Amino acid sequence: MWKTIIRRVLLMIPQILILSILIFILADFMPGDPFTGLVDPNLDPAQLDAMREAYGLNDPLPVKYVRWMKNALQGDFGRSFNYQQPVTAVIAGRMGNTIRLSLLSIILTYLIGLPLGILAGRYNESILDKTVLVYNFVSFAVPIFVLALLMVWVFGYNLNWFPARGSISVNAVTQWDKWMSQLYHLLLPSITTAILGTTSIIQYLRSEIIDAKVSDYVKTARSKGVPIQKVYTKHIFRNASLPIASGFGFTIVSLFTGSIFIEKIFTYRGMGYLFLQSINTRDYSVIFVLALFYGFLGLIGTLLSDVILMAVDPRIRID
Amino acid sequence: MSNKKRYSMLASTAAVAFILAACGNGDTDDNTGNSGNGSDTSENTDENASPGDEAEPVTFDQRVENEGEPIDGGTLSIGYVSDSPFTGIFSWELYTGNPDADIMSYTMGTLFGYDENYQIDDSGAASFDLDQDANKVTITLKDDVLWHDGEPVTAGDIAFAYEIIGHPEYTGVRYSGDFANIVGMEEYKDGATDSIEGITIVDDKTVEIEYQTVGVQMLQAGGGVWSYAAPRHYLEDVPVAELESAPEIRENPIGFGPFKVDNIVPGESVSYTAFEDYYRGAPKIDRIELETVPTTTAVAAMENAQYDLFMSMPTDQFENYENIPGYTNLGIDDTAYTYIGFKLGEWQEAEKDEDGNIVEPAQNVYNPDSKMADKNLRQAMAYAIDNDAVGAKYYQGLRRRANSPIIPNFSDYYNEDLEGYPFDPDRANEVLDEAGYEDTDGDGIRETPEGEELVINFASMSGGETAEPIVKYYMQSWERVGLKVELLEGRLHEFNSFYDRVEADDPEIDIYQGAWSTGFDPTPEGLYGRLAPYNYTRWATEENDEYMEAMTSTEGFDLEWRQEQFKEWQEYFMDELPIIPTLFRKAVTPVNNRVGVYDITVGENPDTEGVGLHTLYLISEDRATE
Repeated sequence: MWKTIIRRVLLMIPQILILSILIFILADFMPGDPFTGLVDPNLDPAQLDAMREAYGLNDPLPVKYVRWMKNALQGDFGRSFNYQQPVTAVIAGRMGNTIRLSLLSIILTYLIGLPLGILAGRYNESILDKTVLVYNFVSFAVPIFVLALLMVWVFGYNLNWFPARGSISVNAVTQWDKWMSQLYHLLLPSITTAILGTTSIIQYLRSEIIDAKVSDYVKTARSKGVPIQKVYTKHIFRNASLPIASGFGFTIVSLFTGSIFIEKIFTYRGMGYLFLQSINTRDYSVIFVLALFYGFLGLIGTLLSDVILMAVDPRIRID
Repeated sequence: MSNKKRYSMLASTAAVAFILAACGNGDTDDNTGNSGNGSDTSENTDENASPGDEAEPVTFDQRVENEGEPIDGGTLSIGYVSDSPFTGIFSWELYTGNPDADIMSYTMGTLFGYDENYQIDDSGAASFDLDQDANKVTITLKDDVLWHDGEPVTAGDIAFAYEIIGHPEYTGVRYSGDFANIVGMEEYKDGATDSIEGITIVDDKTVEIEYQTVGVQMLQAGGGVWSYAAPRHYLEDVPVAELESAPEIRENPIGFGPFKVDNIVPGESVSYTAFEDYYRGAPKIDRIELETVPTTTAVAAMENAQYDLFMSMPTDQFENYENIPGYTNLGIDDTAYTYIGFKLGEWQEAEKDEDGNIVEPAQNVYNPDSKMADKNLRQAMAYAIDNDAVGAKYYQGLRRRANSPIIPNFSDYYNEDLEGYPFDPDRANEVLDEAGYEDTDGDGIRETPEGEELVINFASMSGGETAEPIVKYYMQSWERVGLKVELLEGRLHEFNSFYDRVEADDPEIDIYQGAWSTGFDPTPEGLYGRLAPYNYTRWATEENDEYMEAMTSTEGFDLEWRQEQFKEWQEYFMDELPIIPTLFRKAVTPVNNRVGVYDITVGENPDTEGVGLHTLYLISEDRATE
């Protein structure tokens, strides 16, 4: 297994190189540059050109690419034009927010999805099962930005239960206040994400459980006299959760990517929002690092999923 | 209040440089006229504004007084409506984006006050004296002006701002010809000297700045003399190259404005507390809390009375917040205008001799053979469109037909007698007929006087819901007078690619629609001068050069003479018509009725109740909802 992992990791290096070249070329196609929107006749155009020159925007593409790579290998990912800060500092400033939001969203997703999936599978064809199925269809069909806008409108503005934007109150001074304020700001966006994120969990669990109920090992266990509750928790659940485990690697990396829709609508300063904004303002250095980072996470995600699958299902071997 | 010198490019539509197009939740509009983009969107529009509608421009008060007993202290909350979160650089020398400028204006303080024409007067923290014979500016600080840490603001702090901007390792964008004009600045910038020869600290409160040449525009707020000071004692240990990332700028900035920064949540919110030793007197309000609000939710926030003041409220949603109980909408003329430009030439790079010396500076070169070179054609196109109706129908009267490239805010310089080009299709036809643009092949479309087919390519920006209807309306209007105008590549263009192509004189573009934010200096040289790269039409005539020279000459210290030059130039310009100024704009500030007095009149003395932040007071603990 270790051999496989190492090989996969080594394989990532050329993959990332190719990805970086692709992104570099695509980013170069975008019209405008970070100084396009920054017009001030009092600035000598020579001054603006000097800035472009200083940031190396006038160089040919291969030169830019090689220079960037050289610096990146030394840990220097460039400076953000918008934030006038190193890219790493800009991203680090957002990472915490995104991790908090994703973590709570994932926890809530499983808190909703697991019990509903299990109950629906165990009591299939019951009223409960049918209700869960309806919920599942609806949550699968509704786009996230529709629900998010609705949630902001109802709970953020009309009922005033939750803050409608931001990640923390400006009045939070003590550490405890800060935590509480952050949590308060997290609730609405993460509940929104969780409500719509449960579809596959519920669906997989339910159908696996329904299949497992009539399988031989369950019949054997029952005929040995194992109590039904124990059959569900010990035997069925473990098998039924395999498909979910296969996606868990991606779930872990999604902690870092953030959701563009959610973060934009809740004006939540995370990675997704940063990505969107950087594209709009041609903040090349940030776009580039983020796109590359997302690509890297995608690769890690597949690897993690395979490893997790191996760990939970001894029958699976990857060579 | 800040007096930034800034022209900025306004996108005619929304999804632009500092603005995010919302993903799936409507359009954005930032009409602040400051952040390099304001947009021309509005809702509730007919496909065509029907010509001939009488437009009734909306009128606004500039001052609101709510009766009630002032409460003790209290917190004023401000919704700063913007889709671009602020960067959080609290330094006039180092900031780039305009949200930063707006947000630091509550705390950093500026040296000069100005009158209703944005001309520097003695109402600020320092007085200003320009000696045109000695090419010298003398700045004298008032007594008792203190930094937030209690240290006095000194002449050295004023000089320090120049030392930062001119520093060889300076990372910002503020260095310009205005600085190079200071005696000894170039040497300092090159690192040849440690101090700037032309800047003399006379005593603790007085600094003299010697220029190579002085111009009358220096009398304008933001007209070339830096209006800010930087706290030397607080920042001098930080290397200039590292200043913009320093916590002294980003986390714990100090200024000499009425409120101290208390807490900054980058990109989201800032809280300020009253600075008791403010030189104009302690603020009556204890605390200010400012939050950025996306344009998409600004109206909802107002309906829920979430803030006392809404800054840069989007005008495209005006009908949705026109009558929200609890609020009074104040309005002033925005320092911006929309225009349609005609491409009349090309930008020519500087010519250098063998040693690399510039023999001929980079400049606009007029091309008398360009498609739009006939001014009759340009005038006819102006008569053919009804901008009164566009303002009324598409902007609910918040915009109105412009008659000059100088905005009415500069009341001394604005030529209000100009008629401009009111809607008159008959006149348009007449002008075209006389100029020889006739339909010779009977297809309803006019040909050039030479008998060739005439197709005019129109570039405009994409973004809001009305961007397309307005462009379509213009094109239909021109078709009615027999001019065939086609949208460049059949579609609207995104902000960045639009300005990329306009700037590069793309030969595919004959006319384009853009907008300018004018800043506080009326001098049009930066936009229409021969050497101005932002003169995107590339129009340049000798007569125009003469006017430009006159408007910036030292003779202009005789203000009446200068005003005359401005008015004559506007007449000349509107006759030549390299651009059609299309719309003047209003900016709207909703104020909650628990704010005692609030006044947005330009140039009013800051000590007048309702003008300066320190004079504001609240009359209720809770925001008014009716």
